Amino acid sequence: MRSKIFLIVFLLASLPVVLNAQNNDISPARKQAIDSLALEKVRDLSKYISIIGSKNTPWAEANRVIERTLELFAEGSQMGVSSLYRPEIAYYGVRQYLERLMALNYDRVKIEWYDIHYISDLVRQPDGRYVGVITIYQKFEGIVGEKMVYRDTTRKDITVYVERKETQIGGRLIGFWDVLLGDIRVTETTP
Amino acid sequence: MIRSKLFLIILLFCAASSWAQSFEHYLGDEASLFAQTKQINQFFRRFNGEESVSGVRFPANDPNYRNITVRKNYLQMIFDLESQFIDKEQKNEFIYNITKNEEPIFLDFHNGDWFAEVSTEFLYYGEKTRATLFLKLEEENQGYKWVITNVFFKPFRELFSDENDGKLRFIHPLSHELDFMNLIKIFKETGKVTQYTSQSYKPDYLSVFLYEVKKQNLIFQNVSGVKFHFFQVPGWYFELSEIRRSGANSGWLITGLIDFDESKKGELLKYIYYE
Repeated sequence: MRSKIFLIVFLLASLPVVLNAQNNDISPARKQAIDSLALEKVRDLSKYISIIGSKNTPWAEANRVIERTLELFAEGSQMGVSSLYRPEIAYYGVRQYLERLMALNYDRVKIEWYDIHYISDLVRQPDGRYVGVITIYQKFEGIVGEKMVYRDTTRKDITVYVERKETQIGGRLIGFWDVLLGDIRVTETTP
Repeated sequence: MIRSKLFLIILLFCAASSWAQSFEHYLGDEASLFAQTKQINQFFRRFNGEESVSGVRFPANDPNYRNITVRKNYLQMIFDLESQFIDKEQKNEFIYNITKNEEPIFLDFHNGDWFAEVSTEFLYYGEKTRATLFLKLEEENQGYKWVITNVFFKPFRELFSDENDGKLRFIHPLSHELDFMNLIKIFKETGKVTQYTSQSYKPDYLSVFLYEVKKQNLIFQNVSGVKFHFFQVPGWYFELSEIRRSGANSGWLITGLIDFDESKKGELLKYIYYE
């Protein structure tokens, strides 16, 4: 998966950098490519969550996947979770959130996406990075044996940071856009 | 005067209605999720007519981009249709005003004249207390960030108000001849000390608030609600809140709309800031 991401990143790097001089916005074509990359990362996150939450995943493997999941995130990212019955936001570090998920220990975890997502514009921050938000809706089912013991539908508003980086390959300086996930607001939507 | 009273009453009702709905449940199926205004970003795009029904942004050269017919459809959707406090005629007048062929009005994320009101909970000397923070977007290094501009915190407001018991208090004009020795009496009566400041004195609640945070007497707990105030359409104010309910008319919607005389903007802002 990592190699896939690298491939996409370098494909992006081969495209010309088009910045609108007036407002420093990323061009629409580039934005579209970055959106796809960000969505790919969000899908990776979902897949990793399924693996971590499943009882069939050996402990050591789950821990390896947690490390891989953390690579998707910017340092210090948090999950802010609220439910129908507890509207206050509970704050977790990403590692803490994933470890809690691992401790739930369902036999199986089924994560389904609603066929809908919303991607915001990218806005430049004072530090030169760009920030956007992807909103997705997911149905989560925790299954023990053949019985579904927990189900929720959540809305996830996921922060996406986009940063222009450079790397040296064969003596040549190659520019690329790096995408990292940031804070995630998780809101329960239906029981 | 009647007009200003009226818009205060309207605002009050709008605020009450949006707070009551803040924690209702999402019940939407997929169709209503599509229709729902899911982000503030989407509210801007729908207001301006800049995206398709499926939420994909129109390129600026697309014939549908900012198309008046597209806009008019979206504009009907981005009002809270269940609000009893948005006058239908006023709403239509607003839509007519912003979609005029010769001079249409669009919202601009970066253009100021809109700000956020965030309801939060802090522990204040160990007791859960609500604080309302006001934030606006500020430009820095060609980028943008939200900055805290104001705070409403009831304990501070109470501390600094209602000191007047009818007794005239002042430091007499020849106090300097006595090395201001009378200050001892002034600072003994702690509840009345503000009366010894200039007539133009206004407490800076945000500084006091930050001081208490730094001293760890105020400890952040939670965010309990967010809404936005818009002044980008000349002569109009509207409030944007998140309405969580089933059906298409949900998400970030206009929950309050008032046309006002620009000269009254200060009064309206004072009301919003709980001053």
